[in-house]
Amino acid sequence: MNLIIIDYGSGNLRSVENAFFNSITENNLKCKIKVTNNLQSITNADFLILPGVGSYPDCKKGLQEIDGLIEVLSEQVIYKKKKFLGICVGMQLMFDFSLEKIKTSGFSWLSGNFKKIKTVGLDYLGRNFKVPHMGWNSLQLQYANHPILKNLNEKDQYYFVHSYYLENNEKNQLIASTNYCHEIPAIVGKDNYIGVQFHPEKSSFSGQKLISNWLKWQP
Amino acid sequence: MLSTRVIACLDVHDGRIVKGINFVDLKDAGDPVEQANLYSKTGADEICFLDISATHEERKTMFDVISKTAESCFVPLTVGGGINNLSDFRELLACGADKVSINSAAVYNPEIIKHSSDKFGNQCVVLAIDAIESKIMPSGYEVTTHGGRKKTNMDVLNWAKQGVENGAGEILLTSMTTDGMKTGYNLNLTKLVSENVSVPVIASGGAGNPKDMVDVVLKSGASAVLAASIFHFGIHSILSVKKEMFKNGIHVRDCENKK
Repeated sequence: MNLIIIDYGSGNLRSVENAFFNSITENNLKCKIKVTNNLQSITNADFLILPGVGSYPDCKKGLQEIDGLIEVLSEQVIYKKKKFLGICVGMQLMFDFSLEKIKTSGFSWLSGNFKKIKTVGLDYLGRNFKVPHMGWNSLQLQYANHPILKNLNEKDQYYFVHSYYLENNEKNQLIASTNYCHEIPAIVGKDNYIGVQFHPEKSSFSGQKLISNWLKWQP
Repeated sequence: MLSTRVIACLDVHDGRIVKGINFVDLKDAGDPVEQANLYSKTGADEICFLDISATHEERKTMFDVISKTAESCFVPLTVGGGINNLSDFRELLACGADKVSINSAAVYNPEIIKHSSDKFGNQCVVLAIDAIESKIMPSGYEVTTHGGRKKTNMDVLNWAKQGVENGAGEILLTSMTTDGMKTGYNLNLTKLVSENVSVPVIASGGAGNPKDMVDVVLKSGASAVLAASIFHFGIHSILSVKKEMFKNGIHVRDCENKK
């Protein structure tokens, strides 16, 4: 199997590669990882990962600068049904738009949009809610028997760092959510594509469990 | 519920770990790659490397340390020390750092915060502030650079607010007066900054025992606690710190939940 991590100049590609490589090795999976933006490689890939750190408009711009990339990606994921994982801004891009900095459209594979996290009131220790929502948070499993959640429980925590959250999404596409001042969708998906708002590659043992679930998942 | 983070910091010089009192009289002990992995496996929520190397040559050793650490350390990795421009920033992120902390460079060139956060996102820009008490500053604290040796005539709270406005996603606040003293964090300083900026504040400088971590969270509202020597010399483990925090009602990431 060929796994492509899409390189469009955004962020922590090394971390994503390292974490997936570790999971492939530990699970004895036959899977090669390549970090690239080559359209032919993306077309030939079996699995696709779209990472993303930084702002929504910058990530979108980075993708647009590679001629044909968004079209090829949509074709491979939506029509060819290739297994896909969007991470953080990579997840956000699967939806209609984000209001970060300036309203920017995404791929509209799923319906929903992103707006700034609310910071009303104080947390359980009387502290202000800070933005970014940064740090380790647990999940409420909304679709507990989805294969991606296998062996995970509500004790597992994931590393989040984001300032915008998904709203107006389809409830039946919500796999897990988290809570920070209010409910925040954490794992979303449909058919062969999944998006995670947090960083599984930076989420230690719990992240490794989720990565291996995704690698073994047969949508 | 969001956990309060416990961050293990490693002071690195020329590829080796050091930790001294008030950043001088450094003691050498250990390999940073091995130590970072041990911390991440025993429950550190983040690892912070502070590179106190002086020369460009020595900094190359640091890139190597970060690359090797990132291969097997699956928690966020922050690197600070000696970052002067965007190309330093880019190089560190390319090695596998998740966040870069800037201190002196931001003081002498405040634009670097704006430029780096525009370029790489505010989630990876940590503004490190080394504070000392000062009677002439409005907040009562002055920003210092060069490990506390140089005063800047800048007010800590103003500087923190300005940094956030320019795009810093987090503030690493070190009290130079208590750093290395193991007498507890500076509660007033931490409270002052935590309550007045919109981004998370990491308390640093002075942790001597797990109770100090509890205090700075409950009394000063810190989003995260950072310590170096108490972990490094095995005086307290990350687990013992988290147990104490949990006992005092602070939500932490369960570090025994491994498989």
